Amino acid sequence: MKFLLAVGSKEYSEPTLNIGSRIAKAFDADLSVVYVGSKPKEMFAGRVNLALDSMVKWEIYHPGIDVLRWAFDYLNSSGYLESEQVNGFNPENIVQENDRIRMVLQGSYGRKVDLILREGEIIDELRREAQKEDYTLTIIGGSQKRSMAHDLIQYIPTSIFVVKSFDTRRDYRLLLLVDDSKATKRAVRFGATIAANQGMEVDTLTVSKSENFGPGYSRAAKAAGRFLKSKGIPHKQHFLTGDPVDTFVEFASETHLMVMGASSKSPLKKFFLGSKPIKTLEKAAFPILIVK
Amino acid sequence: MFQISNQVIANVLYWIRQKRWLLLTIIVGIVLYLLPAPSGMSDLSRPDGAYHTLIIVIMALVLIITEPVPLPAVAMMILILQVVFGIAEPNEVASSFMSDAVFFIMGSLMLAVSIVKQGLDSRLALGIIRLTGNKTWRIAAGFTTICALLSSFIGEHTVTAMMMPVGLILVRSTSSDPKKVAVLASLLLFSIAYGSAMGSIGTPSGGGRNVIMMGYWTEFGHGTVSYLQWMKHAYPMLLIQIPLAVIILLTTFRPKQRVLDTAVRKLKVQVTKGGKMQGREYLAIAVFMGVFLGWVFLGHTIGLGIIALIGVFMYLAFGLVDWSDLNRNTNWGVILLFGAAISIGIQINNTGLAQWIAGGAMDALQFVAGDSPLLQITVAILLSAILTNFLSNAAAVAVIGPIVLNMGGDPIIMGFAAALASAFAYLTVVASPTCMIIHSSGLVKRGDFLKAGGKLFIMSVIVLLLVSQLLWPLF
Repeated sequence: MKFLLAVGSKEYSEPTLNIGSRIAKAFDADLSVVYVGSKPKEMFAGRVNLALDSMVKWEIYHPGIDVLRWAFDYLNSSGYLESEQVNGFNPENIVQENDRIRMVLQGSYGRKVDLILREGEIIDELRREAQKEDYTLTIIGGSQKRSMAHDLIQYIPTSIFVVKSFDTRRDYRLLLLVDDSKATKRAVRFGATIAANQGMEVDTLTVSKSENFGPGYSRAAKAAGRFLKSKGIPHKQHFLTGDPVDTFVEFASETHLMVMGASSKSPLKKFFLGSKPIKTLEKAAFPILIVK
Repeated sequence: MFQISNQVIANVLYWIRQKRWLLLTIIVGIVLYLLPAPSGMSDLSRPDGAYHTLIIVIMALVLIITEPVPLPAVAMMILILQVVFGIAEPNEVASSFMSDAVFFIMGSLMLAVSIVKQGLDSRLALGIIRLTGNKTWRIAAGFTTICALLSSFIGEHTVTAMMMPVGLILVRSTSSDPKKVAVLASLLLFSIAYGSAMGSIGTPSGGGRNVIMMGYWTEFGHGTVSYLQWMKHAYPMLLIQIPLAVIILLTTFRPKQRVLDTAVRKLKVQVTKGGKMQGREYLAIAVFMGVFLGWVFLGHTIGLGIIALIGVFMYLAFGLVDWSDLNRNTNWGVILLFGAAISIGIQINNTGLAQWIAGGAMDALQFVAGDSPLLQITVAILLSAILTNFLSNAAAVAVIGPIVLNMGGDPIIMGFAAALASAFAYLTVVASPTCMIIHSSGLVKRGDFLKAGGKLFIMSVIVLLLVSQLLWPLF
């Protein structure tokens, strides 16, 4: 398994790196940490690159390298990297590839860790990176832009974990949204692995628009309960009625990390009408993982 | 039954997202093409040609600003549509595409790479520090002045590329905490960027747009201007701007660090590690001096562009630079785009579109300010100065040049006003390569550009107006 983790700045990305690396560890996944910097306008790109090349002679590197250095130090100090990275972060080990620069590191317990620098528009670059390697999950910090939710879910081909308002000092409970969609089974497995590894208790939530919970919903909820019990994960099941998205958001507290399955709607319907995951992500003020 | 998979639909939707500006531009172009030409164009010798040229210009400007397709694609579109719309024959388009101005742009981009690769920046740094000492205000003033004077000969982005590491070393040697040196970084980096931008007006070799304007003067029968004649008009303005710019920067950015003795000491240690100047470096300087003298004395006869290419040839022949470095750092797409922009600029003039726009603008403004040379030159300056903050200065002059030369008044004076005003790219990150270069350091904020650049913009417009009214009439 391979996870892609996008960092933005040293100031704001610590929660993303913290929970992202912990989840990657839970799945024993390889991890790529990517920083997407802004790209100079094509009209000036050659001249800007000339200036950046000139700076390298003075050992002044692209500001993105600083962010990757910070990510390296963070992963190193949290025991995520192989202890024999004795030489520390060395920009000389960065390799220029076609559309990115990359440093390959050895993670602990045989995991592989990449530090990657890209330039361009964030959705475009994450999509390119996700398509280049076979990533299972993309982890990214929250954004003020409303359209980001739609773009992430619609255009990034992996599961998405958006780390909104995550407090590294807090103990979180997992909130697993259960319905009769195909993706729910995958979401339950994914969520259970995280909960088991991180010692989180689980709340499952099934929401119906009407008082009558259909057989699909009941089956799904029972299956989720059985699975969590088989893994020895303490959990409580909740059944509520109302508008699903509003109910999800109202039920979730600041100590919840939400996991839900992706929508099975066609991309065209999602584009024009949105979907439950898109609307939940837009309204959420907590971390939310959407499993595809 | 043929079914389209969700993956294909998702890819199509993504393509639409990425190319929405291209699709919009094509739709607008088609709609405009189907509409009749504005009635005011019927008096022109080629009303259809003028209208179709206007459509191409609108489409090209939108695509250049929004970048949904690579710049070479925009260049090709400009060339293709000139033929498809019947504005010009294929051979006419081809011959207008390549000119001495395009050779100059190509040559100057490659000369910039050649000069930067010589590593003369450390010598330059030492020289400047010896002149300015270690007081912050003197260093900032020194950076502004030296960058302005140098860039007038070798171009703004060359100087910024060489000087930015020097500025960054001083900042980082003062403190590794970016918050503590934020204002210092702004002061030093803007001194470099704005000094370089201002200086690029000083000589024709300071910027491609200067040569584009010289080309238009010749092409449209307004006469020729030599290298030294250009300097006579432009250098007084530059010499007035420099101290005013220093005052603006020092009053806008007031760092706590009044003296940078530790940083200066570390810089001196770093640059003296390079040892004495080598033969290569002397040779590199000699080649450039030869190019400069060629521009001054031979530019009139064999063209500034050819001389720039001679310089590049010498750098390659003497092994001072590798072709792989030139190839990697020269943006060939930009050269294609400038060729296409000059080509459409010629049609802007030949079809009468320039006359229509210029006439319309002056008629509209007559109600405000009457028919005065001062109004004409003010419009020329403001048009160029505002457009350059959204396009590159060369593209701005390529498009605005023919219009300004048809506004009335002395075309040489009007051309100088537009060309010099195209250097006022101070307001945004995307205004010029120097602004993008310093922004790429991660140490200057977008808001700082408007903060300092806004004042510099106003000062520059006023100085140019005064110089054009009080000094140029004396020549």
